[in-house]
Amino acid sequence: MAHDTHAASHARTLPADLGAPAFVDGWRTRAILVGVVFAVIAVLLAFADGSTEHVLRAWVLGLMMSFGFAVGGLALLMVQYVSGGKWGLLLRRPLEAMSRTLPLVFVYWVISAIFMKKLYLWALYPTASDTASALKTGLINEIQAHCLDFKRPMLNPVTYVWVSLLCFAIWAFYTWRLTSLGMRRDSDSPANTPYWIKKLENISGPGIVVYSLTMTAGVIYWVMSMDPTWYSSVYGLLFLVGQGYMVLAFCIIVAISLSKGEPFKTLLRQTEQHDLGKFTFAFVMLNIYLAFAQFLIIWSGNLPEEIPWYLDRIRGHWGIIITLDFIFHWLIPFSMLLSRDIKRNKKRLVRVCQWMIFARAFDLFWLIEPNYKDAARNLHFSWGILEYVAVPVAMVAFWVAFFCTRLKQRPVVQTNDPHLAEILEPEHVHA
Amino acid sequence: MPAREGTYGLLAEFDTPGDLVRAARQAHHDGWRRMDCYTPYPVEEAAEAIGFHRNKVPLVTLIGGLMGAAAMFSMETWISVLAYPLNIGGRPTYSWPAFIVPAYEWTILWAGLSAAFGMLALNRLPALYHPLFNAPNFRSGATTDKFFLCLEALDPKFDLTETRAYLQSFAPVSVVEVEY
Repeated sequence: MAHDTHAASHARTLPADLGAPAFVDGWRTRAILVGVVFAVIAVLLAFADGSTEHVLRAWVLGLMMSFGFAVGGLALLMVQYVSGGKWGLLLRRPLEAMSRTLPLVFVYWVISAIFMKKLYLWALYPTASDTASALKTGLINEIQAHCLDFKRPMLNPVTYVWVSLLCFAIWAFYTWRLTSLGMRRDSDSPANTPYWIKKLENISGPGIVVYSLTMTAGVIYWVMSMDPTWYSSVYGLLFLVGQGYMVLAFCIIVAISLSKGEPFKTLLRQTEQHDLGKFTFAFVMLNIYLAFAQFLIIWSGNLPEEIPWYLDRIRGHWGIIITLDFIFHWLIPFSMLLSRDIKRNKKRLVRVCQWMIFARAFDLFWLIEPNYKDAARNLHFSWGILEYVAVPVAMVAFWVAFFCTRLKQRPVVQTNDPHLAEILEPEHVHA
Repeated sequence: MPAREGTYGLLAEFDTPGDLVRAARQAHHDGWRRMDCYTPYPVEEAAEAIGFHRNKVPLVTLIGGLMGAAAMFSMETWISVLAYPLNIGGRPTYSWPAFIVPAYEWTILWAGLSAAFGMLALNRLPALYHPLFNAPNFRSGATTDKFFLCLEALDPKFDLTETRAYLQSFAPVSVVEVEY
């Protein structure tokens, strides 16, 4: 309420220094340390296991986590520009920093592309004669051979590389465009802010559509095609929502951790924290909705083309993992975020968000590992399976270090924003 | 409730939520308990200022939701397994994945209805009469742009002249006496 003149005199003032607080350097040091330690553990585990197969599979998990944070951050930034709202003012600069970590994600992807023969059957058998001889020697079954041949126009190394490069180019373009315009908006006069709001909105709207399509292509190539026999039309959306899930969780952790020092100490009000908690809750619901819808449809259909994908992930002790996945991924965050008190409590909300990021990684483990013959319908221990802890933790830790570098490079608050004055007012004015 | 007579309380009118919250906080601090805030939209700080305590609506909602889930899930189980067992595409009669969606819908429905009716039951709405509507400024402003603090006569600290002076110290737009 703008007419609340008395309350306006109680408004807090924005600190002079809008840069990221000094303790972000400490986060980076810690992240690098964790990264190095887990990288060493990953190497030791590879020696203990005697093969690098699981390193590569776990690498894809780490890639999908880092990709989710970086490019999912870009997507949420675009959603924010289109939707507006005070929460966006808090998250815009952290989201920009997340999206500007794309080069590291690209490096991660290049490494997975180099070893594609170890990850994807279509890369191992790129021609019809390869599949025929593999079928003859019993390395693949008839269905796999048929699918590999039928899907070859899409699933082959050349298309894989070109589509992925095109996707990265598009994401890089949007990252560059949005983050550079975001800076120019702040250096411009405040009178021009409506122009910038419209402009960023106009870039972001189509950007969201383009992002949904490119991201779907990316996850089909990188994860879904590990099993060439299976397909699901909701797969891209499932990852899109999964990204929203983990990106929001990460953003809440960043915002609350930043609020230990200025300028977020002044900016982060309980109202906006509560709003972000509710937003995250919506993604928790949407995520289980899509995951269950896919399961229910395939279960009802019970078709031989589709159901083996789930049987690979339920039988042979995988039932334990899928049950835990349901509990970790939905039941725990859902029950926790239902509570108003937890959403308004900084420490507890951070705990829930950390848990959600772990749960997302756990869900990816369930998606990735059973694609391979040795693991499908056969969950068993090997030193290699521990790579699923070591490799992604190391990769995400290095990603966090890079994120901290990016966060330090710019002020953490956008000043040319109509919501800034509102967010500095006492909370009851808007309640 | 039996009809009462006399003064219900003193009603102070404010132009802004900020002024209301400050006054309410001070009054609560000074020992007032029989008091209430009236605002055109939810002002959570006002509720906190007068010592808002937890109510049982969340519990009623939870119980309602669980009852809805249990009712629908067991009804589906009873129908498919005991009452009319049909072979549908060779699936087992107890096909729990198919039961989830209606059970979920009933959880939401029952939780929503329990929340709405539980709230009404607990705050005794709809009320046909409330003395505050005797104040003309309350009638015209409480649902649009005015913020009210009412100190009620049931509070042991209440005294018609002293309380009026006390409320005046918060510089409200007006202080009016409200009759039952």
